Amino acid sequence: MRLFARGIAALALAACALGGAGEVPGQGAKVRLGVLKLTSSAVLFLGAEKGYFREFGVEPELVFFDAAQPIAVAIASGDLDVGATGLTAGLYNIVAGGVKIWIVADKGREWPDHNLTALLVRRDLYDAGARTLRDLKGRTIGVTQIGSTFHYNVGRLLEREGMAPGDVEIVPLQSLGAVADALQAKRLDAAATAEPFVSRLESSGAGVTIIRTGDSLPWQIAAMLYSDTFARDRRRAVAFMRGYVKSSRHYFDAVLRKKSGPEFDEVVAITATYTGARPELIRRGFPYQDRDGRLMPGDIGRQTAWWYARGLVKAPIAATGIVDESFLREALEGLK
Amino acid sequence: MRVVIDRVSKTYADRRGQAIEALRDVSLTVESEEFVALVGPSGCGKSTLLNVVAGLTRPSAGAVELEGDFAPGRSATAMVFQESALFPWRTVQANVEFGLEELGVAPAERVRRAREHLALTGLAGFETRYPHQLSGGMRQRVGIARALAVDPAVLLMDEPFSALDAQTRRLLQEELLTIRERTRKTIVYVTHTIQEAVWLADRVVVLSRRPGRVLATVPIPLGRPRTEAQLVEPGFVGAVERLWSLIKAEALGALREAPA
Amino acid sequence: MSVRVPVPDRTRVLERREHPVVRVLALAGLLVLWELVTRTGRVPSLFLPSPLDVIQSGVEMLRSGELVTDVLTSLRRVVLGVGLGALGGVSVGLAIGISRLAEAVGNPLIAATFPIPKIALLPLLILWLGIGEASKVAVITLGVFFPMAINTYAGVRSADPLLIRAAVSFGAGRWSLIRKVLLPSALPMIFAGLKLGAGTSLLLLVAAEMIAANAGIGFLVLHAQNLMETTKLMVGIVLLSVLGVLTHWLLVRCERAAIPWTT
Repeated sequence: MRLFARGIAALALAACALGGAGEVPGQGAKVRLGVLKLTSSAVLFLGAEKGYFREFGVEPELVFFDAAQPIAVAIASGDLDVGATGLTAGLYNIVAGGVKIWIVADKGREWPDHNLTALLVRRDLYDAGARTLRDLKGRTIGVTQIGSTFHYNVGRLLEREGMAPGDVEIVPLQSLGAVADALQAKRLDAAATAEPFVSRLESSGAGVTIIRTGDSLPWQIAAMLYSDTFARDRRRAVAFMRGYVKSSRHYFDAVLRKKSGPEFDEVVAITATYTGARPELIRRGFPYQDRDGRLMPGDIGRQTAWWYARGLVKAPIAATGIVDESFLREALEGLK
Repeated sequence: MRVVIDRVSKTYADRRGQAIEALRDVSLTVESEEFVALVGPSGCGKSTLLNVVAGLTRPSAGAVELEGDFAPGRSATAMVFQESALFPWRTVQANVEFGLEELGVAPAERVRRAREHLALTGLAGFETRYPHQLSGGMRQRVGIARALAVDPAVLLMDEPFSALDAQTRRLLQEELLTIRERTRKTIVYVTHTIQEAVWLADRVVVLSRRPGRVLATVPIPLGRPRTEAQLVEPGFVGAVERLWSLIKAEALGALREAPA
Repeated sequence: MSVRVPVPDRTRVLERREHPVVRVLALAGLLVLWELVTRTGRVPSLFLPSPLDVIQSGVEMLRSGELVTDVLTSLRRVVLGVGLGALGGVSVGLAIGISRLAEAVGNPLIAATFPIPKIALLPLLILWLGIGEASKVAVITLGVFFPMAINTYAGVRSADPLLIRAAVSFGAGRWSLIRKVLLPSALPMIFAGLKLGAGTSLLLLVAAEMIAANAGIGFLVLHAQNLMETTKLMVGIVLLSVLGVLTHWLLVRCERAAIPWTT
């Protein structure tokens, strides 16, 4: 039956996974690691390239995805051991649906001066005086999907402004590209989007940024996930975490602290070889994350409660049922 | 109503663009209340001639004229087709009303006249049937009723019974004779059966093989109303034999030349 | 010595018996098996929700009014799109079937645009017509228009020349000919096109509702997928199949009523 379940999930995955077939997880030394082929995965490219994981006896096998949600599904089905992905209502619903997956470490935050996403207003509305979220009352805001991190951004920002969810119309357009096109074509009044679309829309004159999410709403937007099977393999789970922490520290020191120089450029170069993106785009797209991989305290609980209150997560989720920082704690002890 | 066919010729192009001369210089007058049958070897242009009279084919030369009283609510000609040509989406009643609709007859009057002609052709009780629910003979009756309903001055019939089995054909021939006695219509009747032509008509016109010309006109020396006894009379047998001798050579020639 | 034997009955090999009970059992059996598999607890409900859960979820969504909104929204789009597409398709099909001029203009245009998968036009339609109702209805309209136009055209062209001659012999004019001969001749083909178009319309509905929609069955499916709510996803899928079956059934009924002359 387990195989049957995995078969179903594998079908769903077949279209998404870019990586080839590997070994059966839990056997051998390889750890199947699902990542997006984007700058936000830089810390994992760095770990693989610098041999930080190998140092602790684990060999990561990168499996590339072009959307965040399939990574969570693949972890739920056990096709991946580890994943780096955004925290969405869909992910929380996997847990609410009775499948165990574990959020184990920081993998990216909305953070002041390290903005991942932004809210843009259509140029002509901006010129007519729409400068705050309040000015968008009754207007449309494009997001990728209902339950996405962009949806969360808009929802939380509305809340902070004391506005009701119905004060704006959230329009899901499925992809960042479609959101950008719709704003460009003036079919939307505002857009919740991310780089490189923020720069692109601003330089084309289609929109103006009115809120940088990181500046106004720091939150845990992405995390490292363990499958339940991998989490039970305590020794390897901790070993992987040690490599991840080393990689995080390198990333933090070279990228987030220095902001330039040869070490920074090295990370840019490594990221470029994995993603094929242009270096100038990579420089702008590095997300903030904790040097030791610690999650923002209490933030996962805040997110699940927020989604649950809006009916988009179908059951309340206890933080202990989804967050497990014990691997990180153990790894950090061993590293000191 | 007289039908005056005056030096009618018809040439048309076949699928390959070759000119086919179907009729050459055909002149013929059908008198009022006369029943004329057109016979000839297959492909002789007798159907073409009928279509010219019906106004469904434009002659290349010559003209067809009708002489007589034209009353409103009445059609000059009406055609009965070989394969009934009933509209499959119309009931028997609606099929018979078709011509009346085109004449602009008021609905109530249409219903009345359609009923009357359905009764005349023995179709009472079949009004709401669709053509596919009828036998071939019944369909042909509807075709006749549809043509008679517009009260045409001239009734044109294009091999109307040739697709029917022998018994049905015989019955319908008798019915047609009865109808003729009652309505006194001028009738032009195309057939390839000599016996049928002689049995029904006052005069049989023989057309030659292509290009069709009037080869002979044979008056039928049988009185009316026709009875079955006449089928063995010397007048009948003689006319049949005379016509066959006229057509035989033509038919043989047509047989040799036409792959059609 | 002569014997009398009955003629052997050779028809048995041709017999294909009806099995109405088996029909029902096959479907019920699948559902029971499905339920049993989920009951074992070895397959997480996330991957395969049980039929009972799906039904329960459907009932809840019905009670909350969410399902009613979605179904009505979708139905309105389908009815509007199919209606407009059918009207346009039949008109254009008639025109190019009747007039040589319209044929010269319309035929190459249709031949060139027909093969475009209408789904591919969706992003373009959104840019032209906006993210509201217009683009969703338009894509369904286009999907229905082509099979209707092509089938109507073929239907008109296949009208029996003998019937046309018969009508003309009774003095039928152009309009009469169109209304009383060409249109009824094309009706079976028009219905075939309508059935084809209706199938396509559901596909396009779902595609259209997956972009920038806030209600509708397609939205429900996508929404459930985004949120990983497999049970709701199943409700949406079941709903689509029910809608497909109902639409076909309705069209067959309409066809029988509109074309009583075919057996």
